Amino acid sequence: MTTSTLPLTPTEDPDKNVEALLRRELLLVTGKGGVGKSTVAAILARAAAAQGKKVLLVEFESVSRVAPLFGTHAIGPEPRQVAPHIWAQSLTAMDSLRYFAIRQLKVPALVHLALRNKAVEGFFRASPAVRPALFLYQLWTTVEEHGPQGDHHWNLVICDLPTSGFVAGMYAIPNMLSGVFRTGPLVTYADGMRALLRDPARTGLTLVTLPEDMPVVETLELRATLLERHGVEAAAVVLNAVMPRSHDADVLDALDRAADTQPDLLDPWQLTAERIANRRAKALSAARRLRETLPPGRLLTLPWRFERELNLQAIDELAHDLRKGVA
Amino acid sequence: MKPVHPISHLPIGDVLRKARLIVACGSGGVGKTTTSAALALQAAMAGRRVLVLTIDPAQRLLQALGLKPGQDGAPPHLPNTPLEVLPRLADQLPQPLPPGGSLHAMMLDASVAAEQMVDRLLGDAANRQRVVQNRVYRAFLPTLAASPEYFALELIYTLRERGQFDLMVLDTPPMHNAIDLLHASNTLSSFINDRVLKWFSKIPLPGEKRGFSILGAGNSMAMSVLGRLFGQDALPDIAQFFAAFQDVLPKLRDRTQATDRMLRAPDTRFLIVTAPGETCLREARHLHAELTEQAMPFAGFVVNRVLVAAQPPPDATQVPEVVRALQAAGLSPERAADAANEVLESAQDLQRLADADAHHVHALQHLAGSERVCAVVVQRDGDIHTIAELASLGAEIADSGAVPNPGSDLAPP
Repeated sequence: MTTSTLPLTPTEDPDKNVEALLRRELLLVTGKGGVGKSTVAAILARAAAAQGKKVLLVEFESVSRVAPLFGTHAIGPEPRQVAPHIWAQSLTAMDSLRYFAIRQLKVPALVHLALRNKAVEGFFRASPAVRPALFLYQLWTTVEEHGPQGDHHWNLVICDLPTSGFVAGMYAIPNMLSGVFRTGPLVTYADGMRALLRDPARTGLTLVTLPEDMPVVETLELRATLLERHGVEAAAVVLNAVMPRSHDADVLDALDRAADTQPDLLDPWQLTAERIANRRAKALSAARRLRETLPPGRLLTLPWRFERELNLQAIDELAHDLRKGVA
Repeated sequence: MKPVHPISHLPIGDVLRKARLIVACGSGGVGKTTTSAALALQAAMAGRRVLVLTIDPAQRLLQALGLKPGQDGAPPHLPNTPLEVLPRLADQLPQPLPPGGSLHAMMLDASVAAEQMVDRLLGDAANRQRVVQNRVYRAFLPTLAASPEYFALELIYTLRERGQFDLMVLDTPPMHNAIDLLHASNTLSSFINDRVLKWFSKIPLPGEKRGFSILGAGNSMAMSVLGRLFGQDALPDIAQFFAAFQDVLPKLRDRTQATDRMLRAPDTRFLIVTAPGETCLREARHLHAELTEQAMPFAGFVVNRVLVAAQPPPDATQVPEVVRALQAAGLSPERAADAANEVLESAQDLQRLADADAHHVHALQHLAGSERVCAVVVQRDGDIHTIAELASLGAEIADSGAVPNPGSDLAPP
């Protein structure tokens, strides 16, 4: 076992990169299913909270994945404190619709009417574009009103987004709204949402991926799409589950030779060492591939952990590893 | 590799031989697409005419089928119509393809499918023209791709009517959308139902001189609500959008009811694809509860990426012997001792993961019960890249826990 850190390039300073991420008002964490988006969202939340920032973690339309990391299960549409300085909120499309209606109509009777009207409800429920639009509206108002430019209720809003397709859809919302409505309240909102999403000093797009072929390819594709269509560059790409150790070539060779003569004893030993070394090699090649395409210094890494469920202590250790580039 | 957790379960082969539609659902990143392709191939190799349909715009299905995008006559992307995979690649299979067996694959392009559906529904050219120019329609149509479940069902229904395939395997998007799949027909028909249409049809169309006074008091109130939500300016376009659909409502409703019946048909089967880990387990349970609540025909679980430690597990008592063997293989005494201890540590770490996985598999087996499938797939070192690897994966799923179960309730095709 030799290495415990992924060799950094001269332009890479993970600590500085994490610092810069945490200075933003909104972090959008996304990636394919199963890559560890929620883990990364929780890690960033803990890192910000450790600096004394008040953080809101937001999930949309999913069984809460963040809640179990904080040892709780009940997270709903209202922000609820889950750890010192950290609040969490889990929203459905109907929650965001109610939020939108309350703010637009103000009069409770009208809100009631709007939400109970079958036509209005049907319109909101069935149209696929409406869900990301409502969610984005809620996210935007939350950042505007409670972020550094508002009443400072939140210093940082971290959003764990359902899928990469959803993110692409969300970035398309402001232009769609401006196109359909031309004038009126929604166009004003669209301008505000667009400004927030496209300002790299305010919003940090964080893509999470794994050291495997398809996740890396898909991450680079998503990054290219968002850059091309909306001019948004990823603030960070987090390569998760990097095997933090390896077995050296001379050891692997010796195990190989020894297994030829004593297979009963050494086959399992050889298989184990080979598995670890393969994973390490895949992580190195994934990192190389990501570095080739991304602007310098955007790559962050997290080490593989030999456990299937993470607790808060593990999250804090990972937060440390993320900053130090340990992987 | 052998199945590691043999238990008396319904073999998946039974489902593959008899079902006409298999819906593979599960949370993201658990290997749904590859599993769908492996199951489809397995059924084709049993002599059925099979289509595997993905909604995921990524290249995973193409890759899993052993097709290199844009090379060897393969298209750069899976097309929006069935692409013949077998017998094209049949020479790479471990055994000859039986007569009648075939495999097609396609990727649903939801925006094309949405356009086709609108075309089909709005047969009248003038009506179609109005809709196509409508701002609401034009803005919303491309975004339909974000929610393609309904169109997938539509397409499967259409293909089914043509009778070209014996079995279709649908690879669904990640979980919250798989639940949407169950509600897709209902949602669409509630969106465009009589009451909604009637209500919107009272809004003056562009160019029409008609006040809101013809609406009842409640409705003009609702109208003002919509105006405040969207701006008065947008109302006529919204009205026109709905008005255009008014005549086609009965057709649409028949269609959505038919796709709903198809999902509940005796020869449809839902499989939950999952992987070890607390998160996946929780989401598989959630999905299982949802399918059960909706009375959908649930066939069982496929548990992917189960880590199995090297057997027999390396053990501390073996260290002296391993050190001697490594020295004999050329390592210095210190190097050999370090290496043995390091590999032992790795082995123990992997064993912990394997134990956790075994625990999760057990929980799913329990949830499935002996009447359902619970296939276990051992973690592989890399992605599937060839059709031969896909065939071996299919065989592993089919052999997992395969104990003949004469009591299957699956209707014959």
